[in-house]
Amino acid sequence: MDFKFTSEQSQLEDSARRFLKDQYSFDTYLQQLDADDQIDNARWQQMAELGWFGLPFAESTGGYDGSLVDTCLVTKEIGAALSIDPYIDRVLMPGKLLEYVDTDASKTLLSALIEGDTSIALGLYEESAHYDVSAPVSTLKNGRLNGKKHFVSHINDDKHDNKNKVIALVTHNGEHALVLVSLAQPGVATQSYRMLNGTRASSITFSDTEVTDKAILARGQAAHDAVEKVLDYSRVTECAYMYGAAKAVYEKTLEYARMRRQFGTSIGSFQVIQHYLVDMFIDLQQLESMLWMMAVKGESTDAITRKKAVSCGKNYFAKTAVLIAQQAIQIHGGIGVTEELDIGHHFRQITHLSLSNGDANFHLQRYIQCDQQEASND
Amino acid sequence: MNLDFTEAERAFQQDVRQWMAANIPPEVTERTARGEMLDKALQQRWEKKLGSKGWLAVTWPDAYGGPGWNATQRYIFDLERASAGAPAASPFGVSMVGPVLYSFGSEAQKSHYLPSILDGSTLWCQGYSEPNAGSDLASLKTKAVRDGDHYLVNGQKIWTTQAHWADMIFCLVRTDSEVKAQRGISFLLIDMKTPGIEIRPIRSIDGHHHLNEVFFNDVKVPVENLVGEEGMGWTIAKFLLTHERTTIAGVADTKRELERLKKTLKSTPSGMNASRWDDADCQRRVAELEIELTALEYTNFRTVAATDEGRPFGPESSGLKIKGTELQQKVSQAFVELGGPLSLTWDNDDEIGSTAFNRATRRYNFLRACTIYGGTNEIQKNVIAKMLLDL
Repeated sequence: MDFKFTSEQSQLEDSARRFLKDQYSFDTYLQQLDADDQIDNARWQQMAELGWFGLPFAESTGGYDGSLVDTCLVTKEIGAALSIDPYIDRVLMPGKLLEYVDTDASKTLLSALIEGDTSIALGLYEESAHYDVSAPVSTLKNGRLNGKKHFVSHINDDKHDNKNKVIALVTHNGEHALVLVSLAQPGVATQSYRMLNGTRASSITFSDTEVTDKAILARGQAAHDAVEKVLDYSRVTECAYMYGAAKAVYEKTLEYARMRRQFGTSIGSFQVIQHYLVDMFIDLQQLESMLWMMAVKGESTDAITRKKAVSCGKNYFAKTAVLIAQQAIQIHGGIGVTEELDIGHHFRQITHLSLSNGDANFHLQRYIQCDQQEASND
Repeated sequence: MNLDFTEAERAFQQDVRQWMAANIPPEVTERTARGEMLDKALQQRWEKKLGSKGWLAVTWPDAYGGPGWNATQRYIFDLERASAGAPAASPFGVSMVGPVLYSFGSEAQKSHYLPSILDGSTLWCQGYSEPNAGSDLASLKTKAVRDGDHYLVNGQKIWTTQAHWADMIFCLVRTDSEVKAQRGISFLLIDMKTPGIEIRPIRSIDGHHHLNEVFFNDVKVPVENLVGEEGMGWTIAKFLLTHERTTIAGVADTKRELERLKKTLKSTPSGMNASRWDDADCQRRVAELEIELTALEYTNFRTVAATDEGRPFGPESSGLKIKGTELQQKVSQAFVELGGPLSLTWDNDDEIGSTAFNRATRRYNFLRACTIYGGTNEIQKNVIAKMLLDL
């Protein structure tokens, strides 16, 4: 058993850290928040040149065969930098979905995604789904799609061209189907808004939108399994993001406690503040352990092992990373609750991710289900 | 990164598992299943069994009679020992004074004391705390005054676990009152049968007698019982704090306790339900504890892996005692609370519903001490704040 990184992995981590340090800052983040189009083409292109777009995909599709540990090393640094560049939502998730679907058509699409020739978002969530995406009301019938998908990442109302696509999970002939729709198609309407973490998302309404047989990427169990797997993949990388963010707020808070003076001394000299910081420090160690457990077991070929490990970790992250972010604000005092300091923004990121793709409660229930399945298999 | 045991480690695990199944006295596993502790005779019988296999002093290097295992093997051994339903060896001999002796002791001390620790025939206890020296250990006052070829010891120790079982006590005593408090402390070995030693039992809230006060009135201790030199006591005490971190979190026993809780819930009938386990709240409570345990387990793995790579303890190991003891308490509390009224009996020999629930408050009450002994969790946090956070 070892927790060591290969030299390639250490290089990847270092280069991600350096890139973000050079190309991203709190000011960049604030400008990005206000931008209509949050994808900065120049920086997005640089991320592609660093090899991030192809990182976790098979060489045969133009990727580098990287592991989930590799992508976690990158997303951890993205989280630490407070970056809202949608690497997880617009590269990892659509790419992994296409990989899991594993058809000739999906491989071609994946190569285009890695090359940056196409842009794909996933439409999974519906209004009444809560976290369960497995019973979509959106329905494909007689070649026409009707329904509405929410929280689709980084879709702008003015980007309705053929390059921008959505893969939606829908019901078709009583089973699941993953369908590819171009935003330029007739019968596709979007309404864009801001999410808690500052990113832009859309609700997409399909009204008699034409979907040919060729645009159905996967059906039935294959579609269902691919979605389950891609959700787990993104959950792990989101936990890596949360870990990076929690580590950043801990370090900033420790620094602040050393520097901030009250009653003629640094507040870090007070025992109660010291104990809060030690709690954060220890929790951070636990989060790191959990992260690598998830990153390794999250790629297990055994579905129950994978699901149980991911839900175990996400439940713990949703509680513990949030606790660290809350304590960071408390120790900062008044300045911590403002938009003027990065701490409050990290807090929003962590809160956001703790509630996306399954909250602590959802993952506790899922963990229990996996445990029951394991027990009945024994 | 690889989070699996190697094939050789899995084979080792099988060997240990088979030995445990064949060699733990049935009375021991029965008591563990009920949630009861061992009395002196049974504990010593079990330790001697381990000693006969050479598996009592598992942390010792092979030069001193240990099995020469690496940290992963020690961790696996601990897992198998706990899950088979046996308690760990009493720490005072094998985990405390033993390592002190082979690290700081004279050749005569090593050859005199180590063999009887290795085979479990001599029982030790630890004389550190005093009525006015708890967390502030350096303020201890028990005095050892040199008088020819012996020391004359006067004073009082308290919270001395198993003093009433022990043949020997290792003590921190003050040999110099003129220097800085820490510098005037020495490490002394004292035979419990020496005239002038008096033991008063202290009953704990679990209803058992573990703790004692130990009084020293003009106790004559030969000078050859001093370990190291005069004034080295504090250094030795600090050495012990960092000696062994691979099992300090108590992961193995907490794992066993959670399994035992699960089993008890599944086998205890309850009202409309077939068992307590059918209550969704029970499953949630257990699942949340399992998840916390997973975080601790992998943090522990990181410490084990670092040890085997020859790296010093990293930051990941600093919280093991705090998180580990908190979790031991949480699991024992869940055991009590999920038993409901069944947990309220104290000494009824007839089972009501489930003996494990009937006995659950014993362990829960006992474990209130685990966040206090060995340096309270608050003191641990002070140390981490100073040493690691540089505050």
